[in-house]
Amino acid sequence: MTCSALKMLSWCGAMAGLIAGGLVAPTSPAGAAGVLKVAMTAGDLPVTTGNPDQGFEGFRFVGWNLYDALINWDLSKSDTASDIKPGLATEWHIDPANHKRWIFTLRQGVKWHDGCDFSADDVIWNFQRISDPKAPQFFTQQFALSRAYLTNFDSIEKIDDHSVAITTKFVESLFPYDMSYVLMISRCRAQALNYDWTAYANQPSGTGPYRFAGMTAHERMELVPNNDYWDKARVPKQDRLVLLPTPEAATRTAALLSGQVNFIEAPAPDAIPVLKRANMQIVSNVYPHNWPYILNFTRGPFTDLRVRQAANYAINRDDVVDLVGGMATPQYAEVPPSLPYYGHPVIYKFDKAKARALLKEANCLPCKVTLAISTSGSGQMQSLPMNELVKQQLEDAGFEVTLNVMDWNALLDVSRSGVPKYPNVDGMNASRGLLDPVSAIIKPVATAYWSPAGSNWGHFGTPEADGLVKQIFEEFEPEKRLALLTRLHEYESEQALMIFVVHDLNPRALSPKVHGFVQAQNWFQDLTPITVDP
Amino acid sequence: MNERVVVAPGAIPADSEIADNEVDLAPAIKVRGYWQSVLHRLRYDWMTIGFGLVVLAIVIAAIAAPLIAPFDPYQQSIVGRLKPFGWRGHPWGTDELGRDMMSRLIYGGRISLLMGLAPVLIATVVGGMLGVIGGFAGRVANTAIMRTMDVFYAFPSILLAVAISGAMGGGMINGIISLSLVFTPAMCRVAETATAQVKNLDYIEAARASGASTLTIIRHHVLGNVLGPVFIYASSLVSVSILLASGLSFLGLGVQPPEPDWGLMLSTLRQSLYVDPLGCALPGIAIFVTSICFNLVSDGVRGAMDVRG
Amino acid sequence: MLGYVIRRILFAIPIALGVSVVCFSLVYLAPGDPLQTVLPPDATAETIAIVKHAYGFDRPVPVQYAIWLWHVLHGDFGRSIASQRAVTLEVFGALANTAMLALFAAPLSFIVGFGMGALAGCFPGRATDRIVTGAAVIGVSLPNYWLGLVLVIIFAVELMVLPASGMGQSGSAAFTLWHWSDAQFLVLPVTTLAMIPIGIIARTTRAAVAEVRSQDFVTTLRAMGLGEGAVIRHVLKNASPQVLAVMGLQFGYLMGGSILVETVFTWPGSGFLLFKAIINRDIPVLQGTILALALIFVATNLIVDLLQAVLDPRIRRA
Repeated sequence: MTCSALKMLSWCGAMAGLIAGGLVAPTSPAGAAGVLKVAMTAGDLPVTTGNPDQGFEGFRFVGWNLYDALINWDLSKSDTASDIKPGLATEWHIDPANHKRWIFTLRQGVKWHDGCDFSADDVIWNFQRISDPKAPQFFTQQFALSRAYLTNFDSIEKIDDHSVAITTKFVESLFPYDMSYVLMISRCRAQALNYDWTAYANQPSGTGPYRFAGMTAHERMELVPNNDYWDKARVPKQDRLVLLPTPEAATRTAALLSGQVNFIEAPAPDAIPVLKRANMQIVSNVYPHNWPYILNFTRGPFTDLRVRQAANYAINRDDVVDLVGGMATPQYAEVPPSLPYYGHPVIYKFDKAKARALLKEANCLPCKVTLAISTSGSGQMQSLPMNELVKQQLEDAGFEVTLNVMDWNALLDVSRSGVPKYPNVDGMNASRGLLDPVSAIIKPVATAYWSPAGSNWGHFGTPEADGLVKQIFEEFEPEKRLALLTRLHEYESEQALMIFVVHDLNPRALSPKVHGFVQAQNWFQDLTPITVDP
Repeated sequence: MNERVVVAPGAIPADSEIADNEVDLAPAIKVRGYWQSVLHRLRYDWMTIGFGLVVLAIVIAAIAAPLIAPFDPYQQSIVGRLKPFGWRGHPWGTDELGRDMMSRLIYGGRISLLMGLAPVLIATVVGGMLGVIGGFAGRVANTAIMRTMDVFYAFPSILLAVAISGAMGGGMINGIISLSLVFTPAMCRVAETATAQVKNLDYIEAARASGASTLTIIRHHVLGNVLGPVFIYASSLVSVSILLASGLSFLGLGVQPPEPDWGLMLSTLRQSLYVDPLGCALPGIAIFVTSICFNLVSDGVRGAMDVRG
Repeated sequence: MLGYVIRRILFAIPIALGVSVVCFSLVYLAPGDPLQTVLPPDATAETIAIVKHAYGFDRPVPVQYAIWLWHVLHGDFGRSIASQRAVTLEVFGALANTAMLALFAAPLSFIVGFGMGALAGCFPGRATDRIVTGAAVIGVSLPNYWLGLVLVIIFAVELMVLPASGMGQSGSAAFTLWHWSDAQFLVLPVTTLAMIPIGIIARTTRAAVAEVRSQDFVTTLRAMGLGEGAVIRHVLKNASPQVLAVMGLQFGYLMGGSILVETVFTWPGSGFLLFKAIINRDIPVLQGTILALALIFVATNLIVDLLQAVLDPRIRRA
């Protein structure tokens, strides 16, 4: 072989490698007719054995599609705040004789995907599966994933084939909300598989609008319509639903632009103009999510109300909204104004001078604070740039901010362990889901939920808040309860309970071929009405 | 060395052909003026001098960043996000928070160079010492040191770096620790090979016979011979270290914001790739230019130090 | 020769054992709780204790190691905390996908790198040499994850001729190599991945060829009147053991070092699996993946050494 031959060879090799793609006629990477392909933000496929992991996104795409709970969420409208509605239970009420006993009437004629009939025994079996370590169907993973919704669950009994009674540990008028997060799986299928949960994960069976059609672990899951779904209005209109975990925002955008998927979650705000130019539909809506700093009430500057107020006055929320390309709304109180118990909270309009004056009054200038933040994570939005901007704004008003940057798992540990383990953290940036009033406004203030036993991270506690919570839990009249909830919400804003920053608008980008999607004001979304052009 | 002639770890790029050279280097009898002759040869190597000047410029810019940078690298401007070159006096535009890109790149050189140099320096000192001890000490110590090194050597470099950083969590210090651990075994092997080769040479035997202590022998006779190969190898690692460190930052396992680090800038700007592709390319270009210059200078120095030249 | 082979294999065993200790202990450097994924954000201390016990994380660490190693030796890497699947399945599925990338990237980089290096080595100091050497240095100095992003922008988003990410139209399980609709997913990741090995192999080959050419026997061959072609054949043959060694190590690198490229292209290989295991703190998967990749690397080194010994008898005597 001579050197010139070598030369030819090496060049041919290089050319072949580099332009192999360009020379062969490319086929269109677009999907088949009527297939909805979703790029999720999750890093992995959610588990299919009941309550999913991967946060509420797991519920959104897998949980609510394969399964139902006794109580479901109404996701059909985009213009009103969404609330709970009958699911596998058609009706529920409190036992007038015992305010800890709830009676659920079960839906009749519902079939599991495997053909078995849904009955009261299935419900009892499901609750044992996640609460009774002695039951053969007890499954640790599911226990962990549903534990948070069973804090007030005490016992369950069968009344007849079509009704059950659930007894709670304490009186709680809002208990039905908890039941909307406990998904029911098929006893029939689990028993046929001898409680082999790994096998079950590959052939799950529920009552939901979609049937499981297969998955490649970590890569994709395919669901097909359940044409026998009990709610005829929600039988899926597309042929197939494909779910792809795609944690990188840039990758999701590229996948949509190149036609590999036709529905992406949370495009990077900066990519939205480009997506619009490519004729993609950008949908967004308010939903009960907030992006605040949760504060330490046991020690440090934020124990002083004036410092908390100062921090709230220091935030220029419009700039934060600009930063995320308009895909957020300013947050002045715990929940967005669209929720019925919003009321008339104090509005902390941006006022740097007032913030500085308050700090001076509180004798904390410069006011040194340490905030724990994460680099990414579920619902954390554009965590880094947003935190950097807030730091700047706080410092302009007289704070001296140390950002304690950690990864999502480390922040979860801070979040779970609370101030007892992390007394030196003055505030923590953790986005919150505010689907139901208990998690939205009761858990953050009631002493019963002090960390690490509950989600009152910073140990806020006043007799006033506890009193209101007790009244709410014991009030079974919806109107009166709403008034009390509104009062509690206003009280929390007077207390400047958190540094309120923004509510996410949860943008999604859809290919122009996708029709019929209605974005509900919820973390959960209904994909069943969607059709996809070929 | 009973297993292979090639000392270079395969996973580490840009190191492969050093292998044989340093093995040959060690026995060279130290003629007076060896370093002078190296310098002399370098003086006529315009390529190396040119790229060396670029490296020098990057280093000076990083050190003198506060004097050179046109803006504060942390100063944000929400109206001035992702602006193009030359916008309102920002020569290279602004980043996703409206911070001056040029200033951030200049300041970024500090961290990126630190992440490139610190692990190599630590690995050189620690690995070099272990290697000299391993090469000079008896069989037991040698086996203990070298077999431990072999274990770490059995991981592809990026895998070990990711595993350690991933386990310990992100952050600059953790990044430096994990990269130091990655480079130490290879460095140790280079030093051990060179030491073992001079150890049995006649003049060391003579020194020992004349009653010189081990420490004196190491200081006077061994170090001089080990330094050359170690230096060559270390210089070739700097660019690898810069690439690995920026890779860690890119995965979210390295430097944490708001520090201006090139890898991290690349990672955060990537979300704006479609709006401002040129701006997003800048940190990548900075990494590339620095890494290639270090590589070429290292090549040049190695060429000049190669006695067979 | 047989003695050398046995010695070399025996030498690999303690290394493998040491590697397993490192893999196992790595995860105990981790801050936070090893069971983060399965626990909801507001899990109570009581919940955490029950779950920990169920997963065996409440036992002393050396006991956990012994149990783990015993299971590993029986081919059982435990179960993924997140997906509940056997780690063995997870890791080997992902390894197969990584191997697919490596099996394309390796020949590409070997041929291109060797070709470039040989070419440069033939004309040391000439323009060809300078161009090739320059290209090779670019190859080893490029941050390959950045190159991957640039290629995605050009070929997937702007030109729309190649897909941006993932593996095949219907996922890795249904990947059909001989259908262009699936095979096109390989082009960008393979090209990106091959860049560094091309640079390294070109540099090694060039150095080896140049070195052999400067040796006395080449002058002798020429003096004996051999044609230039025959001389070059001899030169390449003599340079090959060293080049082969580097190629072998590069193959190990392609298998174990693809984490950045796989992350950029969401390629469902072992690197991406590892990345997700780190993000999710899925300890059994993390341990299993690192151990499998490191053992492959050890095995590759072993094979390369043995091959080298076959090609170059001098090594056997060492």
